[in-house]
Amino acid sequence: MDFLSFIPKTKDCDFDRIKRAQESMANRRATICPERAEIITEVYKRTEGEPQIIRKAKAFAEILERMTIYLEDDMLIFGNQASANFAAPVFPEYSFDWVIEELDAFASRTGDSFDISEDTKARLRKLEKYWIGKTHKDEVNRNLPKVNLLAEKQGVLHKGGISMSGDGHIIPNHEFVLEVGYGGVKKIALEKLKSNELDEEQRSFYQAVVIAMDGALTYIKRFSSLAAKLANEERDDKRRKELEQISEMCRDYMEGGARNFYEAVETVYLTHLLMMIESNGHSFSFGRFDQYIYPYYRRDLEEGRLTKEKALEIITHFFIMTNSINKVRPWDHTQYSCGYPLYSNLMVGGMKSDGTDGTNDISYLCLEAMNLSRLPEPNLSVRFWEQTPHSLLLDSARLIRKGFGMPSVFCDEVVIPAMMTLDLDLETARDYASMGCVETAIPGKWGHRATGMTYINFGKVFELVLNNGVDPASGIQLIRLNGKEGREVSYHTYEELWSAWKRALKYYFDLAVQCDLVCDRSLKFHDADPFASSLIDCSLERGKTLKNGGAKYDYVSQSNIGPSTVGDSLAAVKKLVFDEKVLTMDELKKALDSNFEGEEGARIRQLCRKAPKFGNDDDYVDHIVADVYESYLELLPGYRTDRAGRGPIGCGYTMSTSNITSYVPNGFDVGATPDGRLAGKPLNEGASPCLGADREGPTAVMNSMSKLPNDKIAGGQLLNMRFYPGALEGDDNLEKFTSFIKTGRLKKIFHNQFNIVDSKVLKAAKENPEEYPDLMVRVAGYCALFNTLMPEAQDAIIERTEHSW
Amino acid sequence: MEGLISKIQRYSTKDGPGLRTTVFLIGCNLSCLWCANPELIAPGEKYLYYRERCVGCGKCVSVAADNSITLTEKGCVIDRSRCSNLKECASSCYYDAYEKVGYAMTASDLCEKLKRDKDFYDQSGGGVTFSGGEPALQPEFVMETAKLLRREGIHTALETAGLIKKDRMRELIQQIDLVLYDIKAMDSKMHLACTGVDNRVILDNAMMTAEMNIPMIIRLIVVPGYNDDKNDFYNRLQFIKRMGKAVKQIDILKYHRLGEGKYLRLGLENRVSIEEPSNEYISEYVQMAREMGFEPTIGG
Ligand code: SF4
Ligand code: SF4
Repeated sequence: MDFLSFIPKTKDCDFDRIKRAQESMANRRATICPERAEIITEVYKRTEGEPQIIRKAKAFAEILERMTIYLEDDMLIFGNQASANFAAPVFPEYSFDWVIEELDAFASRTGDSFDISEDTKARLRKLEKYWIGKTHKDEVNRNLPKVNLLAEKQGVLHKGGISMSGDGHIIPNHEFVLEVGYGGVKKIALEKLKSNELDEEQRSFYQAVVIAMDGALTYIKRFSSLAAKLANEERDDKRRKELEQISEMCRDYMEGGARNFYEAVETVYLTHLLMMIESNGHSFSFGRFDQYIYPYYRRDLEEGRLTKEKALEIITHFFIMTNSINKVRPWDHTQYSCGYPLYSNLMVGGMKSDGTDGTNDISYLCLEAMNLSRLPEPNLSVRFWEQTPHSLLLDSARLIRKGFGMPSVFCDEVVIPAMMTLDLDLETARDYASMGCVETAIPGKWGHRATGMTYINFGKVFELVLNNGVDPASGIQLIRLNGKEGREVSYHTYEELWSAWKRALKYYFDLAVQCDLVCDRSLKFHDADPFASSLIDCSLERGKTLKNGGAKYDYVSQSNIGPSTVGDSLAAVKKLVFDEKVLTMDELKKALDSNFEGEEGARIRQLCRKAPKFGNDDDYVDHIVADVYESYLELLPGYRTDRAGRGPIGCGYTMSTSNITSYVPNGFDVGATPDGRLAGKPLNEGASPCLGADREGPTAVMNSMSKLPNDKIAGGQLLNMRFYPGALEGDDNLEKFTSFIKTGRLKKIFHNQFNIVDSKVLKAAKENPEEYPDLMVRVAGYCALFNTLMPEAQDAIIERTEHSW
Repeated sequence: MEGLISKIQRYSTKDGPGLRTTVFLIGCNLSCLWCANPELIAPGEKYLYYRERCVGCGKCVSVAADNSITLTEKGCVIDRSRCSNLKECASSCYYDAYEKVGYAMTASDLCEKLKRDKDFYDQSGGGVTFSGGEPALQPEFVMETAKLLRREGIHTALETAGLIKKDRMRELIQQIDLVLYDIKAMDSKMHLACTGVDNRVILDNAMMTAEMNIPMIIRLIVVPGYNDDKNDFYNRLQFIKRMGKAVKQIDILKYHRLGEGKYLRLGLENRVSIEEPSNEYISEYVQMAREMGFEPTIGG
């Protein structure tokens, strides 16, 4: 076995079976499961007229009572989301039309395909009629202003998941669940129901929590009988004992708190799974796993009930099993997030809320477990700061060197101040964890959607600025920058151009917030989630779902795509047209319109390409990119979420550059840009430099990044770097790389992630996918198997500057 | 004071301790047959031609004086001996098919740029390395930059083949914290055949540097069929032994072919065409060094 630094001393961890489980999970095939859709349709039909949250709770409970359950062969961690491994359940209550429309296309998608049987298709088609006009998506469409639809047609706005699926994006209070169990949560709700001062909303909420928790407990007990049955049939002694243990444990497991390390880890998995049966949001995250699991580990270790090796086995099984869960999205959303991502972030290391370092055995074991499991989920991140042991970073670097993109690293000295720009005290801010790709939240205290509200295509906004608000592709004009209709506009100074940018950005931000509100108001009804809500602080106290103001804190952010493309383009215009006057605006615009065609186009493109580019430690352009960030940050204080005044602290907006793979499809919509980018090519990823623009190596990229207002970007700042494998070869290079990561502290690097794959390998994998089944790459804040990405996203990754020197 | 440099390579990991920025200076007074940086040997600016970027538009052809560039199936063929205005031809291309090597920079501008990565140097125990070409051929420029860097608290290293006047050398290395010294062969005939020069001065200067007690890393390249004679390698190691405590480390450098493409793009003849040596091949040399009490690192 090839460990990072672990040296097994006992035989308690069965590495062979981990290997088998890993292989079978890596080769898993996505399918679609109709069971959940059928059951919820029945329950909804039966409960019409009852409060929505009660209907949701009853459906949740009945799904858990009736769905097929099974135990994955030879795994210690159990609990299944649908009738088969990696089968995606269907959530018709959020949106259903696209499922029906795409039934025949699921299997033939170029990325994220799903096998689906004719039987499943027929079963789903039967449900179609009931849901017409009743879904969350229908509600959003009824309320969305026309102008928003036009802005979408222009390619500026994209409403993403919020308009047609559940919200997700939370880190439940795992510590609390481990302490009281689902039974304990139910007790609290029952206790609350004794009061006669409850209003209707609160009464329904507590009743729903009781129903939901009962459902969860029933689900667990079903595993007791199943495991007993399987134990009877099992020939292998060791496995039979394990099954007997599961059966015994599930008789009363989670009626109260977790009783040992094994139960604690199983609980974390189960809670995660149950949230993903309740709703089809994604980015349900694990928070600071090493912090809340450690007490259970230490106690079992001290009492001689556990060895480090057994702990590693359990964690590895848990990691592998998180990959059995799946989600199906419509095709147009899939392009925004390729690779079946669930963005279940799991974080280790970093400062504790008392200001001391929190690194412990579990931090290291998680890195080892990831080294063994080598699958896209969970999305593993490491926090570090001045006091982080060097050995933890060294193990992280060793894992990064293996080339599957994990862990990503977050720097406490940057993130904590960024979180402090919100209304948090220092102790709370120190407890942050990553969620989804790179967004940050306080575990157990944050409402849905710290990020991923409406997407704003910055690249497109800039294109509109150059065309007086007219989208050259669709001809739609919503804003007249010079007061006149039509594309003609002339900017005489850089300042004029800049103020037009600010006006256009504000205009579309207003529309985006409008879209957020429409979606949020609908989700308040359709995503009334008693199970998940009760696991976030203050919901149980207030008797409210998260969507109606149950969370302690509530901050959201949108997703902004292409800040570097815009900054590079502004810099090119400023330098070539206004400073050096080697080009006129007309010449430039003509070249852009023709996508730099012909000799004249080539001449101009060369000038554009030679203009300063973000990522090369060039102040001229770096400061312009920073201005682009500031122009958005400035707008934030003016906006509130739907929950304002209903309980949570905050209820405002933050900024995030977590934008998953959307930089690829967003690029499709944007014509040629003054940075020399051709029409339809990707925008920059997250906050990273534009593809291929960074030519001075990674230290220059960090220096450029350090000039951005990273410590104001509380929603998460995404930097993705690619290294040639040789750059990390041997102990000496590994040390150098580790010190490079560490320097990120001084450079105010919020988050950094690394791809260590040779572009030759990537190209080969694109040609011969069968030969590279488990080639994993960092996409944009998460990891995916390379083969599951669509070809354009694969190309973008290949093209991303390879730092080889 | 201006120097002529080709490239500033940040995040260098092979030119001394820690993360470094390596400055490549143009001009060399050796002419190693296997040189991986042929663009750095002759003084002055040069132009590399990238066929894969050329779209065959013919512009450079029409700009070239005396028809010295012809467009063929295989891209542009440049008759460099006749071309008197290559600079103009190159800058007429809109497709970046020509790449210029070599630009002048003042010591203070260079220092400003190098300073930008100070945090990385500090965190990793790195610094700046002057390489080339032969950086010692621009001694004033290197000294001035090194002085400025020293003032900033930045560690400096000089990679040299050591063929300059003794006094110059002494003066130069006093401004430097670490010398990476290339010894290409002990046998003077072999040295002459491989590099075009005699090695007497080189060895004298190496010994002088050691006597001045300036920390040194000795770099020993091994090129199969050229300077890989075991006896000679043994003699190189013996010589290093005599240099004493100043030698902190020895690097055995494996011949590599990464420079081949540059010959093609410069229109030069590649004089060494052999396979890259295997790990087994190189391990014999490593073993020899170990037996003499060294802990060599392997690079290339
Ligand atoms: S100008 Fe450039 S693209 Fe045109 S023929 Fe010459 S090298 Fe090729
Ligand atoms: S000393 Fe170095 S730069 Fe000079 S010719 Fe030899 S290998 Fe090339």
